[in-house]
Amino acid sequence: MTQPLDGLKVIEIGGTVSVSAAGKKFADFGADVIKIEPPQISEVRKIAPFPDDIFHIDKGAVHLAFDTSKRSIVVDHLTNSGKEIIQRLGSKANLIIMDIPAKEALDLINIFKDGDSLLTNIVTITPHGMTGPYKDRIENDLTLFGWSTRSHRHSITGREPLRYGPYAGVVQIGSTAAAVGMAAIWGSRSEGMSRLVDVAGVEALMGNVDSGFFLWAVNGALQPRSAGQSTGLYPMGAYKCKDGYMLFSAGRDPVYSRLCNAIGRPDLSTDKRFTDPVEKPKHFEAFKEILEEWLSTRTKYEAFDELQEKGVMCCPVLDASELENDRQSVHRKSYITRNQDGIGDITIAGPPFRMNGLHSDAWQSKPAPSFSQHTNEILEEYGYSKQETIALFRAGVTT
Amino acid sequence: MGNASLEGLKIIEMTEAWAGPVCASLMGDMGADVIKVESFPRHSLTRPTSPRYATMPGDGPVYERDALHHQGNRNKRNIAIDIRTESGNQILKKLLSDADVFIEGYAAGKIEKLGFGWKDVQKINPNITMISIAGWGLEGPYKKMVTLGAGLDATTGHLSLRGYPEGDFVDTHPNFHSDATGSSTIFFAALTALLQRQKSKTGTFIDLSQWEGLVWQFPTILAEWTMNQRIPERLGNDDPHIVPHGVYRTIDDDKWIVVAAEDDQQWEGLCKIIDRIEWSEISHKYSSIVGRIKGREEIDNAIESFTKQYEGFNAAEILQNNNVIASPVVTPPDVLLSSQLHDRSWHQTITHKWTGPVMVGGFLWDVEPDSLSWDIPTALVGQHNEEILIELGYDEKKISEFYTNGSIGNHYEN
Amino acid sequence: MTQPLNGMCVVEIGDSIAGSACTKTFSDYGARVIKVEPFSGNKIRRMPPFKGDIPDINGGAYHLAFDTGKESIIVDYSSNSGLEVLDRLYQLSDLVIFDTTVEKTKKLRSMINGVKYPSTVSITPHGMSGPFQDRRENDMSILAWTTRMYRNSMENMSPLRNAPGSTLVQIGHTAAAVAVGIYWGHQHDQIRRDAEVAGVEAILGNVDTGFVSWIFTGNLPERIGGQLKTRYPTGIYPCKDGYVILSANEEPWFSRLCHAIGHPEILEDERFTKDRENNWHAFMEYLGPYLDQHDKNYIFTHLQEHGVMVAPVLNASDLLDDPQAKARKSFVKIDSAIGEHFLAGAPFHLNKMNDKSFKLESAPKLGEHTNTLLKELDYSKEEIIALFRAKIIG
Repeated sequence: MTQPLDGLKVIEIGGTVSVSAAGKKFADFGADVIKIEPPQISEVRKIAPFPDDIFHIDKGAVHLAFDTSKRSIVVDHLTNSGKEIIQRLGSKANLIIMDIPAKEALDLINIFKDGDSLLTNIVTITPHGMTGPYKDRIENDLTLFGWSTRSHRHSITGREPLRYGPYAGVVQIGSTAAAVGMAAIWGSRSEGMSRLVDVAGVEALMGNVDSGFFLWAVNGALQPRSAGQSTGLYPMGAYKCKDGYMLFSAGRDPVYSRLCNAIGRPDLSTDKRFTDPVEKPKHFEAFKEILEEWLSTRTKYEAFDELQEKGVMCCPVLDASELENDRQSVHRKSYITRNQDGIGDITIAGPPFRMNGLHSDAWQSKPAPSFSQHTNEILEEYGYSKQETIALFRAGVTT
Repeated sequence: MGNASLEGLKIIEMTEAWAGPVCASLMGDMGADVIKVESFPRHSLTRPTSPRYATMPGDGPVYERDALHHQGNRNKRNIAIDIRTESGNQILKKLLSDADVFIEGYAAGKIEKLGFGWKDVQKINPNITMISIAGWGLEGPYKKMVTLGAGLDATTGHLSLRGYPEGDFVDTHPNFHSDATGSSTIFFAALTALLQRQKSKTGTFIDLSQWEGLVWQFPTILAEWTMNQRIPERLGNDDPHIVPHGVYRTIDDDKWIVVAAEDDQQWEGLCKIIDRIEWSEISHKYSSIVGRIKGREEIDNAIESFTKQYEGFNAAEILQNNNVIASPVVTPPDVLLSSQLHDRSWHQTITHKWTGPVMVGGFLWDVEPDSLSWDIPTALVGQHNEEILIELGYDEKKISEFYTNGSIGNHYEN
Repeated sequence: MTQPLNGMCVVEIGDSIAGSACTKTFSDYGARVIKVEPFSGNKIRRMPPFKGDIPDINGGAYHLAFDTGKESIIVDYSSNSGLEVLDRLYQLSDLVIFDTTVEKTKKLRSMINGVKYPSTVSITPHGMSGPFQDRRENDMSILAWTTRMYRNSMENMSPLRNAPGSTLVQIGHTAAAVAVGIYWGHQHDQIRRDAEVAGVEAILGNVDTGFVSWIFTGNLPERIGGQLKTRYPTGIYPCKDGYVILSANEEPWFSRLCHAIGHPEILEDERFTKDRENNWHAFMEYLGPYLDQHDKNYIFTHLQEHGVMVAPVLNASDLLDDPQAKARKSFVKIDSAIGEHFLAGAPFHLNKMNDKSFKLESAPKLGEHTNTLLKELDYSKEEIIALFRAKIIG
């Protein structure tokens, strides 16, 4: 046993980005994660980019990154014969995570009910939860952001609210589901009781940090929508340097004073224009000019090294091409490059956390499976005869 | 006036039995000018001179009243020639000289001896498409062998997997599937050659082995052997992967119905009808395909206890209304009872000199905007001798000479 | 030399064996055939057998045999974006073959109207009109409608089907004939035609059914199985190492047979000249020993030398070794998704046995050509990915 989750069986159903993100956590740390995909192609497989911009169900970037170390079986969960397969697979699993419409999820939950008790842990992911007037609504990454107050918060007053990077919201929901799923597994191990967990996307985002609701509930005032550079508590946000941008979180002391010292202007740390809370917002432009003048002679990495040396919270804003070569990433092997069948070398992010040091085998990422790659293997493993396997395939229950 | 897709094409058909004649009729259905060169003075297989099981009772020559002949000879004109005679030979040459397609069904080698091998025909008309349809083709060790469709069924492996699994193999009914499908193969081959002629500007000779025309239609036989080293067994009406899939008794003695439910949705409909709704509920083993495979016998019994209460057409109607695959096993008289075929005006009533008006089966397909029509009922032996010979430039005197010297005819001796 | 149907483009919008069987011949003789498939693939891909009994959407025996040389494109035409893709495909093609439900066919065919569009053939079980038009049938239930199941069976025993799939193949094959017919017509008179092939009609209207004989004679077919004991010998007869099938009940074949087996006296025997229908057993005393002593291939060659219509009953394992098949190269080795395997070769030979007009190329993987085809239909990379993401293409 080399990986921490060896021996755990996890089933993910639905093929969405959320459920794929959730299953990945388990898979890369050693659980046997079976990805049950719908015959009409999982959503996660359809997301660009693709190599050379040529779409392919096994070559989408999000699929390649999120479906690592899993096995893929295609089952139509809407048919009774499909449900029978899911029942057989699921009753041996420690956890089932599903991201399908609430109605369909209810049907599947019912096949794991034995009286009042559940045969295994189930986490459902839905936009608005399994109950209530919105339970059947369809949402996407953007609308979920809208519901979570985060779009409102991360934008400029009077202009359209903005989302984060595409899929950031649904991935966060998936990570949330993974965490609670892990808790459910722990619980059933110690108490012998399985749990049904209802993760509503809106709640998972809204109940977490970086939502505007908590602040508003506490102080009753809407925060200014001042995306980008804060004009009140600066420097906060991105500032231009010689070859790009630096991101600062240095509006308050002691970090503010360190910054002033670091750029050779210790005087500013006591300058009333910039330290008095009432005066400070009036002099944003003046400070910006001083800071950007200093930055203009430095690259982002020079600025980063120089300022961090002095304890200033700032970071270079990196683009895709810079990520892979970042010296920290290189040192820790934060990105791994490997050969993926039919594509060649691909690079994906490495472990989200390290167990037992940088070089342990706790986290191992195996290539994402092709669509339906393990259908026959899994059916055989779960006791289906060849005749039954062909019959299921022929009726379109499996693919 | 019917369909005109093949208008302007002239087809000379010199074949017997079914595959060749039906092909020529299909071409006639689509507007080609089809001339059947009838064997004379030897009568063809489908024109028996003494009554047999397929002969319509009545007056007139027996060879004009055989069902098997009528089945494959609509929409063509008929000229009966003895091509072994010098004049007969000349007439055929003239016919071929401006024809587009020549279909011949002699045993391999025979047509050469009669002076109409491809080398000869090509000289007569370099643009013609000639098709030979010997059972096993014109080349190879079996080229001299003779057969009917049943022999092809046996040697393509089809026969080996038909029949009652539990019964004696010799009880398997010979069938003539190669005839039923051969006509389309010949049709397609002819048009393929004509399309090639548009580019190449020359005629084509087609060696069509009816065995090869049939064998590709059964890919599973070869696949089971070459992929999995298995010889497929006789399965009767079962399908190893679909339950239910079978033939069941109805209320009428020796009348039957086909019922099949290929997926869970069809199964649910079936359970409702046979009063076993619980069999489709998720908690029941039969709600899944894999459960049903194990329960074939019990399921078959339940279905038959339903179908035995009904007449076949009605049971099929009820089952179909609930998404279930179902069809009565139709007997020949039942064909007249199909409301569907009547609604589509499929049956054709034709009037023939010796059969009188009869209702027979219709066309294999329909076409818009110019739909098919049955312009010429099965022609009598030599019915169009005069008409065709005049078109070829012979005068009446010459024609009566042909009759006298026996190079053409319009009746057979018994 | 190019193939005879080079330059022709056929679009197949199908879901059963019939559609694939219909377009196969076009493809093998050089036409470009584009299969429009749903995301789950055409049903033909799910038909067994599979190598090692392991289901494979690209490895089913029917698919490998019938989709040879075709291109596969996945389009969901239930939405307008999918229909727009189809519309461009239609305009690229010379012929469209439909083999799906009547409702879908009507919808998809209604877009084809006008000079820039091709002729069409629609395959359905019962036709596009009438009370049964929406019925669902399969290979066996269609055959049941055609009187052939009834005929191919014994009295008071269940009617029997033919080989699985063969009914749908016949229907598809029939559709191929009318398709090439109206294609020819379209080229010559510029009239666009819509042909309809109703499976039941296509088979019932063809030979080997009992309907016309019944109309003519009023007699139902004798449901006595294989050997006809009144008009003999015809049917299946056991021999030393298997079975042969004989069609020698009529003259001149009966006489030839009697001579061939060394019993010309049968022809003078009153039991057979006057009362043949009641003396099958007596006849078998002559024929039986001959059959018992010889194997099927000997009987085949020996009786055929005398002009008797006889054939050995072969099974799958005999086929590849059959001397005629070998001599004519009737089976062709092909390399496809499952590796090397054998397929039946040309159904007919143009000009010479070894000409190049027939060519087998391997069957396409599901959706293998979607990308290239969409480019050809003038979609940009962005548009193609957008359609993919919306599950319109795959």
